[in-house]
Amino acid sequence: MRGVLGFLAPKLLRALIAVWLVTTVVFIVMRLSGDPVPLLLPPDAPTSEIYRVRRELGLDRPLPVQYATFLGNALRGDFGRSIHFREPAWGVVVRYLPATLELGLTAFGLALVVAVPIGMLSAIKRNSAVDQAAMGVALVGQSAPTFFLGIFFILTLSLWAGWFPTSGRGGWEHLVLPALTLGAFSMASIARLTRSAVLDVLRQDFVRTARAKGLPEAAVVMKHTLKNAALPVVTITGLQFGTLLGGAVVTETVFAWPGIGRLAIQSIYNRDYPIVQCTVFLSAVLFIVLNFAIDLLYGVLDPRIRPR
Amino acid sequence: MSHLTRRDLLKSAATLGAAAALAPALPGPAGAQTTQKRELIVAQGGDLARLDPHFSTSSNDIRWSFNLFDNLTSRHPDGKLHPGLATEWKLTAPTTWTFKLRSGVKYHNGDPFTSADAKFSIERTYDPNVKTMVATALATIDKIDAPDATTLVVHTKKPDPLLPARLAFYGGQIVPKKYVESVGNDAFNAKPVGTGPVKFVSWTKDDKLVVEAHDGYWGGKPDFDRLVMRPIPETAPRIAALLKGEVDIITQLPADQGERVAGTPTTRVAGALYAGLYVMAVNSKRPPLDNPLVKQALSFAIDREAIVKELWRGRGIVPNGPIAKGDNHYDAGLGPLPYNPSKARDLLKAAGYKNEEIIIETTVAYLSNDKQMSEAIQGMWKDAGINAKVEVIEYSVRAQKNREKSFKGVFWSDPTSTLGDPDGMMWRLLGPGGPQDYWRHPRWDELGNAARFSVDEKFRAQAYKEMTTIFLEHFPWLPVIQPYEDYGLQKYVEFQPNPNQQFEIRRFNFKFKRA
Repeated sequence: MRGVLGFLAPKLLRALIAVWLVTTVVFIVMRLSGDPVPLLLPPDAPTSEIYRVRRELGLDRPLPVQYATFLGNALRGDFGRSIHFREPAWGVVVRYLPATLELGLTAFGLALVVAVPIGMLSAIKRNSAVDQAAMGVALVGQSAPTFFLGIFFILTLSLWAGWFPTSGRGGWEHLVLPALTLGAFSMASIARLTRSAVLDVLRQDFVRTARAKGLPEAAVVMKHTLKNAALPVVTITGLQFGTLLGGAVVTETVFAWPGIGRLAIQSIYNRDYPIVQCTVFLSAVLFIVLNFAIDLLYGVLDPRIRPR
Repeated sequence: MSHLTRRDLLKSAATLGAAAALAPALPGPAGAQTTQKRELIVAQGGDLARLDPHFSTSSNDIRWSFNLFDNLTSRHPDGKLHPGLATEWKLTAPTTWTFKLRSGVKYHNGDPFTSADAKFSIERTYDPNVKTMVATALATIDKIDAPDATTLVVHTKKPDPLLPARLAFYGGQIVPKKYVESVGNDAFNAKPVGTGPVKFVSWTKDDKLVVEAHDGYWGGKPDFDRLVMRPIPETAPRIAALLKGEVDIITQLPADQGERVAGTPTTRVAGALYAGLYVMAVNSKRPPLDNPLVKQALSFAIDREAIVKELWRGRGIVPNGPIAKGDNHYDAGLGPLPYNPSKARDLLKAAGYKNEEIIIETTVAYLSNDKQMSEAIQGMWKDAGINAKVEVIEYSVRAQKNREKSFKGVFWSDPTSTLGDPDGMMWRLLGPGGPQDYWRHPRWDELGNAARFSVDEKFRAQAYKEMTTIFLEHFPWLPVIQPYEDYGLQKYVEFQPNPNQQFEIRRFNFKFKRA
């Protein structure tokens, strides 16, 4: 029991500090430039009117006071009222979350299901035509900007071929293009990493031993290689889920997908501080929880790093 | 007005160029010139923020509040004022306007509309307890009487020739007294009730707004049963949705994409000349911009014809001064602002210009073509011997600078003529204490003030003529273009848009072509 606590406690503490740092940085950066109030009012609103609304929103108070209030409320789970929507920020963000999770998980699932087998196949059939084709496509997937890829898919697969709707959220057919766009980068990097991890393991002595003792190739790959190649793949996969959250900002904007990525970018432009803080907080927590889960998974996969 | 929508996030000329190059030949059915649709789908560049009409002036919001609600007066696509919930109005004393209201009008919830609603609604805009976002829109009003159910008497603090025009724009949407008072402001915003041609059904943020036709609408039921608005923030996907036939109307069609929409067999472009101008406003307090000769030179050095032709593909006209074409007191006899780089050089010499840097602060796609126009003008100025620099700012930073009046040189603005009159445009923005108050001129101020409070249109015409002359000597704005506001439509849609962004969909300007 003490072992588990000793394993968890420092990690938990670091996670808390990370969340605090992230929200603080965002708090300060958001207020360094830009002003939400003139965006709410008609452009000819007199200065007195602008100051009235600033006062109402509490934006006239000194920054340290605003920060203290923010921190105090955030600790109680209150992120304030959205300046733009005029309702509690948490409620707004939570309403946008399901769309992002739906898109993110689909993209992630798609990436895993496609990338891991392809990576393995590429490794086993190294330097074959299959390998070269797969790695070529992966290189494109990894280097094409999400924005470009999204519009490319809309123009080709939707407008030209007519297979999928151009944008918006609805049935599964609405999900395909955004998930493909969002998952492209992860798919490519996971495939490439799986390939090199498997290649690495295939060169190890124990694989040579397994082959030497006459195990069928299938057993060599499935039983001995895969499990040992899993560690780096799990790491990169976990981190990729984080990039998916970041990529959602662009993908959701291109595909008019009503998720928190699009909410975040619009709120940044509107200087809607409470919403930005809330989405950043949520993303940070999600990212940290994932990393945490990966740390725990290491222990499962590799007995050597289990706490003693 | 606010233009949260004008920006196209992440948009860049390069991506659009790439998108256009990739555009495949369309297999679209060439026969879709008529339809049996009963549902109209509109895509705009951003979602709504609020449905309560008194809490927003953003164009994404007012497109819908001007359909859910009616105003007492209504500005039609022809640019003129027409009856709305008021059937007639007249000036009964220098400071008194009397409105005759339409009888038999019902709100979407069945409640009757009376003068009590009109009084409540207008007073609500400037009621300090309600804290609306349009508190100054109708601030010329002193008090309102409702002597009977169909008469409204509005007393203004000073003579206000433009009150009926003010009531046609934001702040003037009439909300139901009884309903608002019984449910409260938050519930009203969540489930608005008006008298307009469409009634609210549902709103899923950033996904869609659904409204349906109001059967008993006094102006006739519109030609659809349901209307769905989908926000599609990016330009390229918005156009793709139109070309593929997923939506019937798109707003904010950029000029450089018009040919693509017009060139597709199933779609077309409809536009209205913008009720306003795109100008570079000048911080005339900063040397050398405090020297009128320098500003005259800046104006002479802009090749506006080239900007209209190249950057706007001809979708605009060259302005002739501070008054937009279509407004009261627009002087049709005045020629377009001239381009004369050698004259600009002479003026610079006379002004003793010493190559001081002139900073153009621009946003990216907050106004269409803002950055492209900035770069083009920087080049034109350079050719005339003016040292200009383009600095890119984000639009909330622009808003902050606007509030602080801290622009470093010239900056883009798209003054909307809210009242169809110079008072609602140049005087509103450039007048003393206005948001672009960087330049004062005693005679100009005197005329602007007199015209605001005069109910004698002959006097007002003379005043605006003289103000234009002074303006063209001092250039507190450098007017650049009066563009078209373009929409993309399916060919089976007949729609004539408003010159401002009200986007009223009524029986007289919208219909599906049926087989």
